[in-house]
Amino acid sequence: MVNYGGDEVSALVVDIGSSSVRAGYAGDDTPKAVIPSSYGYFNNPPGGDVSMENGNSGEPKSAYSQIFIGQNGPSTWRAGMEIGNPLQDGLIHDFDSARSLVEHALGDVMRVNASEHPILVTEPPWNTPANRERMAEIMFEEMKAPAFYIANTGVLNAFAAGKGSALVIDIGQSMASVTPVVDGFVLRKGLATSSIPRLVHSHAHHFLSNPTQTRHAIDLYPNQLIANRLPVDPGAPPRFNLREDRLAGVTQSWKAWYEAREVDEWIQSVGGVLEQGWNDQVAASRPPRQYEFPTGYNNYFGHDRFAVCEQYFFQKPHFVQSNATAPKTIPSLILEAFRTCDPELRQVLMGNVVLTGGGSLLNGFSERLASELSRSFSHVKIHAPGNPTERRYGGWLGGSILASLGTFHQLWISREEWQEHGTAIVGQRCK
Amino acid sequence: MAASASDIRSALSIPSQSQNPAQTPAQSKKLQAQSSRKPDGISRELYSLIGPSAPSLAAQLAKPKLKQKPNLGSRSVVKWEWRSFTNGARKDKLQLGHWTKAATDVNADYPFAKYNVQSTPYIYTDEEYTQYLQDPEWTKEETDFLFNVVREFDTRWYVIYDRYDFQGGPARSMEDLKDRYYSACRKLIRNRPWSGDEASKSSLLASFHFDKEREITRKKYVASLENRTPDQVAEEEALYIEVKRLEQSERKFKKDREDLLRVLSGVESGLPDVLEDESPFNNLPIIDTKKKRKGPSSGFLPTDVDSPTSASNVIALDPPIVRKPRDPKSIAYDAQHCIIRTDLPPNVQATKAAHHPAFMRSFKLPYPKAALAPRINQIFAELGINNTRLVMPTRDNCARLEGLMEHISALVESKKVLDKLEYDIQVAKKRLGIRNSEDREGGGGGGKGKGVGIGSAMDVDEGDADADAEAEEESVRDGRAQSIVSTKSARSRRPTRRSMSISSVDTNATASARASNKRKFRN
Repeated sequence: MVNYGGDEVSALVVDIGSSSVRAGYAGDDTPKAVIPSSYGYFNNPPGGDVSMENGNSGEPKSAYSQIFIGQNGPSTWRAGMEIGNPLQDGLIHDFDSARSLVEHALGDVMRVNASEHPILVTEPPWNTPANRERMAEIMFEEMKAPAFYIANTGVLNAFAAGKGSALVIDIGQSMASVTPVVDGFVLRKGLATSSIPRLVHSHAHHFLSNPTQTRHAIDLYPNQLIANRLPVDPGAPPRFNLREDRLAGVTQSWKAWYEAREVDEWIQSVGGVLEQGWNDQVAASRPPRQYEFPTGYNNYFGHDRFAVCEQYFFQKPHFVQSNATAPKTIPSLILEAFRTCDPELRQVLMGNVVLTGGGSLLNGFSERLASELSRSFSHVKIHAPGNPTERRYGGWLGGSILASLGTFHQLWISREEWQEHGTAIVGQRCK
Repeated sequence: MAASASDIRSALSIPSQSQNPAQTPAQSKKLQAQSSRKPDGISRELYSLIGPSAPSLAAQLAKPKLKQKPNLGSRSVVKWEWRSFTNGARKDKLQLGHWTKAATDVNADYPFAKYNVQSTPYIYTDEEYTQYLQDPEWTKEETDFLFNVVREFDTRWYVIYDRYDFQGGPARSMEDLKDRYYSACRKLIRNRPWSGDEASKSSLLASFHFDKEREITRKKYVASLENRTPDQVAEEEALYIEVKRLEQSERKFKKDREDLLRVLSGVESGLPDVLEDESPFNNLPIIDTKKKRKGPSSGFLPTDVDSPTSASNVIALDPPIVRKPRDPKSIAYDAQHCIIRTDLPPNVQATKAAHHPAFMRSFKLPYPKAALAPRINQIFAELGINNTRLVMPTRDNCARLEGLMEHISALVESKKVLDKLEYDIQVAKKRLGIRNSEDREGGGGGGKGKGVGIGSAMDVDEGDADADAEAEEESVRDGRAQSIVSTKSARSRRPTRRSMSISSVDTNATASARASNKRKFRN
């Protein structure tokens, strides 16, 4: 066991992302529990607030009367159910529900007692010190963990690729980031983030829900609201019946959630990027892909499936000019990260580009990135795991590797240290 | 059934097991025990008939069996147990658990604790700071902060520079930080009492050496290298290939030129070998980079490359060789031992091309002209000298042989001319004689005179034919079957005084040459 440096102490690794929460044992290659980060809830009845104020203030109380987490959480229709997500721009802003998610993943899915295992939690590179201290507090005070560590997803993605120094390009559900990692440390000055995935998503949403010259607007109803449907020819108007009984109970947040999910499914199924940069002829020459929506409407998408995802790499100049706050494209993020880096480091980083995140699984994404980079840099080497699981859960995988190393166990923040030093220890230990 | 297995065996003349004398009693016993056990699926009577020698049949008749289970019980099972441990690299008493072999020592140190190697940080006291480390650019607080950050990140300067934010201090570059840290460390090392020897101290000092200006220029250079446009990179690569190509063609040209010179002038002609300049492009990359720095857009013409090297392309004939006056003693020694020294011109480099391999002097003997070779060889044979192989090819002998050969060829040439002239004279005389006789006879006896005239004309024709044949003979025998002697014998049909005199000259020359050669060989 000393031979490969591993020493498993049955640590747990929890990776909280915008789309899903991943949890599992350190040393495994895939997380045991993957649950959606979105959850359904019912607001407290007006009386609930009163009871909370009267209740014991030391006891953490949920703001919701009922919360639905996991596989049957947000995706199940419930009359009047709202949908929430504890993350905003990749950062946790609602720690109560984040804790509920972690508790569900560990307790209900993995069936482990969090108080018996050291827990490693991930954080995005742009996490705030207050956030990580709050996370440590939850782990020690509420989950009663014996030891805790919070590690950066940029570093963990580099570790998952087997690199100590790397330029990590992480395309998540809501955020894209370019993180220079040197010797296992994030260079904070070189960190560049943007919400380009959300822009692509809203573009796709706009494209689908608005009529074009050749088709009508597409209804983005989920399967949960459809009573029956008939098969139709591609491009023909759909023939389906809605479940009128359920329509009344659909809240705005659930509608937004299911529409976003339909759009995401469409992007993931048909979306793609042209490998050699945008070219109308090439886009037109690519075979169109058929996609069927839950309503039964189906059509072939050719040019548009590339045009939507092209936003990742190129934005029309007039769009950028009119929107000063428009999120940056991936190449401009990389340039920004590079500008702040030492010239000596650039060569090292370019030779160790790690592409990760579920968003990077778009068709042709890594090839396009390679062609974009080789245009302005020489000797570019991109590490993009072909295995989709590794790409999606790269951060978790790196955490799993890190927490199973024998030399890592001296870095855990123990309960004893937490009690002695308080929140300051988090910043000292987790650099 | 009365027939037993042994009966069958004897009938089939199979040797009985017990008849084998080599078997020990124990073995036979074992075999008997084996044979006595009847396999399944075969009747006892049949078995007693055929004995144990029908295993294939028995195997088919036997009931199918499951594969035998692997025997795992023989090895002892390694026992593992869940054990909590404390990590020696930790300052607290955190108990973590892991699976270990139960045989390992419970109180052993955590195996990974030994990897927790800390670098020794430099810490200074307030006194030391005020004494050595004062710097107008740096306050003590900032220096303290810097040393803390350096210790925290184990001198990973990229990370230190990234995380360095001293409140209220000026913006520092990585070189500033490094310079301050290393110079402070150097001062501390110099001024602290040193327990070890001077060498280790100086090596430690050298390890803390940092040249800020040099580092900044280097970084600038790296940045400028990074900022090249793809066009510039491509141009640079093209230039590099071009230089390589030119270098190659230059080398080829040189080689060709050298070969040509050798062929034209010959090694023996005394023309010194052409000096080969091995590396005309040694200075080229510098020129190239200079050009690059001046302006990336400046065109790069091949003539630019040629011009600096063309000077070396000029064939440099060596100045006349000045022989150094040599020690008379060594001259005497050389003469005694027949040593002849060939001095190399002093300014010729000892290059490969200038090198003369060792050769046999006799190989350099001149050959007679092809047209005259057989006659010359004939004369040599007459003289009893083998001109192709000297017994003792000393320098003098070679020179003499060469001279002799020249003389012989001159002789042969002149004799040939003489023969021609002689013949012409003869013909002319004959014609004169005929004319005179015609004049004497006058007009009488015209018919007879005519006949005689015809006859004499025939004679002349004959003589012409003869001369023609001879000429032909000569031209044909340029390949040299015929010798001078045979020619002489042909001439002897109409001997003349002059030809006699020639032959006498010949013999004289031969005699003298022989005598001189004899003298030579005795040397």
